[in-house]
This record gives sequence, C-alpha cells and structure tokens, in this order.
Amino acid sequence: MAGSNEINLNECKMVVPLNTWVLISNFKLAYNLLRRPDGTFNRHLAEFLDRRVPANVNPVGGVFSFDVLIDRGTGLLVRIYRPATGEEPQLNIVDLEKPVTAEVVPVIIFFHGGSFAHSSANSTIYDNLCRILVGTCKAVVVSVNYRRAPENRYPCAYDDGWAALKWVNSRSWLQSQKDSKVHIYLAGDSSGGNIAHHVALRAVESGIDILGNVLLNPMFGGQERTESEKRLDGKYFVTLRDRDWYWRAFLPEGEDRDHPACNPFGPNGRSLEGIKFPKSLVVVAGLDLIQDWQLAYVERLKKAGQEVKLLYMEQATIGFYLLPNNDHFHVVMDEISKFVSSDC
Amino acid sequence: MKRDNNHLQPNPDPSSSLGGGSSAGKAKLWVEEDCGMDELLAVLGYKVKTSDMAEVAQKLEQLEEVMCNVQDDGISHLASETVHFNPSDLSTWLQSMLSEFNPPSSFDPFGAAGTTAAALDDSFLCGPAESSTLSTLDFENNNRQHQKSGQQIFEEASCSDYDLKAIPGKAIYSPNTQPPTHDSSSSSTHNIVKPEKRLKSTSGSHSDIFPPPPPATAAYGIPSDSIRPVVLVDSQENGIRLVHALMACAEAVQQNNLNLAEALVKQIGFLAISQAGAMRKVATYFAEALARRIYRLYPQNPLDHSLSDVLHMHFYETCPYLKFAHFTANQAILEAFEGKKRVHVIDFSMNQGMQWPALMQALALRPGGPPAFRLTGIGPPSHDNSDHLQEVGWKLAQLAETIHVEFEYRGFVANSLADLDASMLDLRPTEVEAVAVNSVFELHKLLARPGAIDKVFSVVEQMRPEIVTIVEQEANHNGPVFLDRFTEALHYYSTLFDSLEGSASGQDKVMSEVYLGKQICNVVACEGVDRVERHESLTQWRNRFTSAGFSPVLLGSNAFKQASMLLALFAGGDGYGVEENNGCLMLGWHNRPLITTSAWKPANNTSPTSTITY
Repeated sequence: MAGSNEINLNECKMVVPLNTWVLISNFKLAYNLLRRPDGTFNRHLAEFLDRRVPANVNPVGGVFSFDVLIDRGTGLLVRIYRPATGEEPQLNIVDLEKPVTAEVVPVIIFFHGGSFAHSSANSTIYDNLCRILVGTCKAVVVSVNYRRAPENRYPCAYDDGWAALKWVNSRSWLQSQKDSKVHIYLAGDSSGGNIAHHVALRAVESGIDILGNVLLNPMFGGQERTESEKRLDGKYFVTLRDRDWYWRAFLPEGEDRDHPACNPFGPNGRSLEGIKFPKSLVVVAGLDLIQDWQLAYVERLKKAGQEVKLLYMEQATIGFYLLPNNDHFHVVMDEISKFVSSDC
Repeated sequence: MKRDNNHLQPNPDPSSSLGGGSSAGKAKLWVEEDCGMDELLAVLGYKVKTSDMAEVAQKLEQLEEVMCNVQDDGISHLASETVHFNPSDLSTWLQSMLSEFNPPSSFDPFGAAGTTAAALDDSFLCGPAESSTLSTLDFENNNRQHQKSGQQIFEEASCSDYDLKAIPGKAIYSPNTQPPTHDSSSSSTHNIVKPEKRLKSTSGSHSDIFPPPPPATAAYGIPSDSIRPVVLVDSQENGIRLVHALMACAEAVQQNNLNLAEALVKQIGFLAISQAGAMRKVATYFAEALARRIYRLYPQNPLDHSLSDVLHMHFYETCPYLKFAHFTANQAILEAFEGKKRVHVIDFSMNQGMQWPALMQALALRPGGPPAFRLTGIGPPSHDNSDHLQEVGWKLAQLAETIHVEFEYRGFVANSLADLDASMLDLRPTEVEAVAVNSVFELHKLLARPGAIDKVFSVVEQMRPEIVTIVEQEANHNGPVFLDRFTEALHYYSTLFDSLEGSASGQDKVMSEVYLGKQICNVVACEGVDRVERHESLTQWRNRFTSAGFSPVLLGSNAFKQASMLLALFAGGDGYGVEENNGCLMLGWHNRPLITTSAWKPANNTSPTSTITY
C-alpha cells in the first residue's frame, strides 16, 4: 500500500506546479480529517481550517465586493462582485446597488465547489476566482453561499440556488440597458456545476431565461463504476471512496447514486429533448476520475439537441482553475469570457 | 506564460501588515514579496515561503503515508482531540500533526487508541490524554467521555451548559454586599480584598492646553485598513434613502456647510419614522449624533458610571459579543496559566468583573488543584465616589470562597490606563507568579491622547505577562477624515444593530441599543480627547503590537469550536459566526467581522513558552 502511494504521489506531482500540488494536497489532507466514517462531518474543524476573506467595498484590482442577506429565514447570503468604475474613491452603501450602466452586462451566478460539504462563498479560493471572473468577463458575479451537506441534504443547495436566481432576476439595478432584463449565466465548479445544472432546470420550468451554463469539472456520478473511475481512483488527489462519501452525505438518506440529482441522465433522470435548456460550456479535466460521467453528460445534452461546448483539458487535475499558474487556467478563462460575451 | 494580467489582481492578503489599498502596489503577480512568500498561495490565504515549498510538500507526503498506514482511529484523534493552530502557516501546522505520529521518544506512535507519548517536547501538541486535560475551559469531561467510548459524536450545543452556568448574569449584580467571613476551617481559602487605590490622573487636566492629538495612525505610520467589509441586510428602498440622507448630511458637516447639514438632519428625522427595525434605530442615533455635532451640543463625558454599568450588563445579556470576548480571552489565559501555581490577572476593563467567575471556575476544576488567584481590577472613578471596584472584588471573593480558590484582589481607580505604572501593582517575580493582562474594549480609548498607548505598552511589558488578551471592535473608526469615520461607523453599527433585532425584545434590547448609541454619539459628535471610541481593525492593532515588541500567541481550534457552540445558544444564532484569522478569533454577523480577540506576549519574554507559537 505504501509503495503504490509513492507512485501515486510522484505521478500527480509531475503534472502540476509544486505550489498547486501543495494547495490541493493540503485540501485533501484537511478533508480527510473532516469526513467521519459514520457519515457525519466535523463542521467546527472545517470552519476553523477554511481560509476566508471578508467582502471589501474598496476596489482591489478593479473589483469591489459586498455581501447581501437575501433570505433571513435560511440565512442565505450572496457575495456580489462588481467592476469598479474608477469614479468613486470611497464606495458607500448607496453606491453598492447602483444600476449597471452598460448596454449589456452579464450577471454570473456562481456556485462554489466543495463536493456539497466544503467551502463557502467567502472562502478565499472562491473569492479569488470570482474576482477573476469579473475582470475576464466584464460581468457582475453573484456568489451563492448555499447550505451544505450533510447538515442540509438535497434539495437545500438547489433551493438556495433557485432563491438566488429569483433574487438576481428581480434586481432592477442588474438589468442591462439594452433590454431592461438581467442577463443571467449560471456557473459553478464541482458541486457548484451540479447545482448550476439543476437550477437551470428549474429556471426552464419557471420561465426565467438563463443565457448559459458554465460547468467547471461538474460533480456528477452514478451507481455504475465507470472506466475512468477505476483507472484514476486515488491517482490525482481524489478517491472513489471520498466521492461516495459526499454523495451519501448530500443525497436523501437511503437513495443511491442513480438519484437524478447525482445522475441527471441516468435511469431516474429525464431527457432534455424539446426543452429550451441554456447553452452549456462544460470543462472536463483529463485527470479527474469522474470524467466519464461528465463526458456522458455532454453527450446526453447533445443527443437532446442542446447547444454544448466541451473543453477537455487533457493534463488537468481537479482544482486547476484555482491558481493562474498553468495553461489550462488561461485557456478556460478565455473560453468562459467568449461564452459569456457572445450575446452582446 | 505571461498574460495580460490586469484582471488577475489577487486579493490583498487580509493579514498583511501593509494594508496598502491601491491596486498599483499589487501588480506584481508572479514576483516574490517580502520574506519570499509564494505569492499565489498567499493570495489564497496560505503562507509558505518559496524556499520551503519542497519541504512542505514532503511533510504532506509523509502525513499522507502515515495516515494510510494507521487505522481510522489513529487519525480521527487528529480531528477530534488535537488542537490546531493557524492553518495559514502550513509548514508549522503540518509539522504539528506529524509530531503526533512521530514523537521524538522511542514510544510506539501507534499505540492503543492513538495515545501518543507524554514526552512530546512541544508542549502545545497534545496527545488525546493531554488535550483533554490541558486547556478546554468547559468541555474537559466531554472530551474524556469521547475518548473512553472511542465514538465520534457530533457534539451537540448542549455541551456548553457548564459554561453558561459559570457566567454569572444577574447573580453578580445583587445589591447587597458584605465582606466575606473568614471561615477558619478552610484556611486554604484566603481571600484578600485590598482597599481600592485611587490613582492621581497625570493627564486629565491637559485637554485644554494640548492641541487635539494627531491622527492616531501617525504615531506608527500605520496606514488605515484597506479592507472595508459590508453586508446589506436591509434591502428596502426606504433604507437606502435614509442612508443617502445620512451620508449627504455627513458630507455637509465635513465641508462645514452647516445650514445644509441642519436641513438634512431634519429630513433624516422624517425618513427615519417611516423606517422599521434596526435601520430606524441606527439612523436615529446617527442623526442625533450629527445634530449634536452641528449644534455643538457635545455629549456629557464621561457617562454616569452606574448607568453605564446597567447598560453594559444588558448588553452582556442580550447578545453574545461580551460573552464571546470573555470566553475566548479566558480560554487563552487558562492555557497560558497551565502549570502555574500562582497567577495574577490584571484587568484593564474591570466593569462588574463579569469575565472572572468563569475563569475562576475553570481554575478551580484544574487537575492538580487551582492556583492561587490574584486579580487587579482597573476602572474609571465613579461619580458618586462609591467604591464600586471594591464591591465587585467582594463578590468575586465570595465566589472564590465557595469554590475554594485562594483569592486576592485589588482595585485601582484611574481616569486613564496611561496613569498606571508597573510599580503600583505590587508585581511579584515571574518565577513566583504568572501574569495575564486583559483588556476588553478599552485599549482603543488610549488613542485619544498622544503617547498614551505607548506608555501602556511599555508598562505592560514591565509586567512581564505570560499573555496579554485583547478584545476590540473590528472596524476602523479612527481615520483622520470625518466622513470616512462616519461611513465606516454607519456600516458597522447597522450590522451590529441588525444582529440585536433577532434577540429577546424588551428592556435588555433597548438598553443594549442605548449602550451602542453612546458609542455612535462619541464616534460622530466628539473630537480630540473626548473622542474615545477610536476603534481600529485587527490589521492596525497587529501593527501596533508588533511595533511595540509583542509577538502573537495563537488561539486554536478548541477555542474556536467552543466559541462557535456558545454562539449557537443565542437567539438568532444562525447569523453569528466565528472566523480564524492567523491565530486570532473574530466574531461576525452574516460574515461581517465585528469583534476580534487576539493574544500577545512580549517578544523578549524569556519564559520557556515564549518560543512556541502556543
């Protein structure tokens, strides 16, 4: 066992820069401490270990942020990131929700990753990523602090995503000048990608227009063990065992991984044929063990006649988008930017 | 591969001592900063020197290997029993966990139930047996239970029943005070309550001679904090109009356009009436403060002491801020007093002494018996010349008697902490008595007079404390520009008032609002030596402490967890949250940090614990 671990560790060290390896390995280590075999989660230690950053109305790198409590009952917070116009040196509350001025302003509703259990909207890694998205896409980003498993199982995260979508859609200050509508994109990584898909489904059913979905290494799965899962299990930071743990923590008790939340096109899922689903940009990391599920997702979208672009990053591991020190990062950011600006 | 990285500016490192606000200074994305920190990881909240990266990677690999080899039980104690510190300092954090598995002695590290050797040389690393006895203020019994059963239970908030019993609430406020009767049969309980000392104020009469002090930041060249967190809890249109009017009025005051300001202040009054909840109250207090500034009707300062006591008590009961402050400070003090036979707490913020029963209880329950506990309480004079500090001392002495803790007390009355000199305190040699200095919401007042904070820092150093616990508001209300201060305070108190809304209604809440209202009035209406509510942020205090020769003492995951559980017991508990920030703990409402507890010790303190990041 020790021997094969050595090989594994060396392998993943070859494909990522050292500081990325340190970052992701550190998460892996911390997460191992937090998951208990009985399915409970050491939330206090998780909150202690998570690196956080407060919102900041002072522009940094041309972006300022502020938090909004959008549902007191559930304590649902979103963090809003806006480009600084450069006019106001000191931003005040009155300025925060000033109407956007451009003809078209994409509003990206972002769902952070963490396999439904980890991280928050104010986790530094996600605060950082959202700031980058503002600059890259000239967008307003709304990062949703959804409720997490195992304390809050399906469908809480989706409910929170839906609440955030409704809230965003009803903000007059987010409406683009061109058509007085909010131009909404849904985006997310890992579990956030999964949430984006399911919130988009609800939006379609309720008549809210979503202009596009951006899914970064989205978290899907199923009962079957796919080839990529078997081949890559434990090789690049992630194990099947931990994937199983997170699904057990998120899905309703007693449900298996063919539940449509986990496997939207599986035996309990449904086809999207004939449904006006938003166009999707799906990014798959070639060293992610769940890629077969992600690729199948893309295929099924295509089969249902939906517009979908796949970005398959061969040598990318999970979390490659957390640091700007690799080519995959830049390729993906460019593609996201194009995807989001193509409606202008 | 170089890219156009204008949009890739990283966040400023929140704990950076530079706090530079402009983005220009952060353009170097891939260039190493001072101390050779890896900038990319620093942006994400991790401090790793580039030169240490390989070593840190190695530690991660070692830990991975060890964790694979050990059964689940072996690593579970790392999560449940071990106390973790400062996860931003990756190298140290990893090393501390490695040491759990590879103690320097020859003990088998994988012994039964993961109990590691007692011979760990880093005293802050606790094997399960030790961690349960070391320090946890309240949950000692629970931890031991968990060890025995070997079960991992997601602890319920009910575990903290013990803690709340120790907090006196109304008990200490009983009107009857009598000196304790000395029971000859319990000769070990020897309570001494010395007569109150009244310090002659050396600086009190100077306010009309000296000009207003320079901005407090000038003393150390500390830039004001560049991070301004805001959480909007009230999205109603009326709320925005109200804020608009308040800001416009403040701006008029800033520009000395008093006619306009006057007109606006009246407008605010009308708008406020139509507003509901926290926003109305906050607006009312800010409007009143603005009016006082405009009409030069400055508030009487200082407040009648008995009234301020009452307000303080209600604030204590209504919301968790003071309890959090006391709790976290006590945790740090308890840990610093580990193994000491005689201890001395010097409290700069004595008030009604509400912080101390809990500490005394915890000391009483210490395995091996309590130390002799000496308390020096410092406070401002009361208007009716009553010996209020003495009364507090008597009550604590009574408590000490019942729990069999040897207790000694002295009260000092002083207009300012800067009037204190180490020689007045009857300090005993460090080997004989360990000292803790405690200050809850007091230190910022010193920034109103030039040189005061420096004097106090130097006096504290002379006390040679094991630990200095500080709790302060997490806000910058001390900037040089009135309008900035006003804006900051408006954001801050709006959030604070919002957090009170969910708590029990009635007198407690009203009193708490009045308590906070006094602070608002001071921040907005006063200037010079009268403006004592000169709150500064953690970044600024860190700079002050390190410049003054103190190094941080870290608060760990045990304090964090227990503070979190304490919060859950308060109404509206969901909105409160604890955050760890490089060894300090912050209490916030809906992710907006509001108060911060930090701990320090003099950097040149030669006692053995000083070299360890505790």
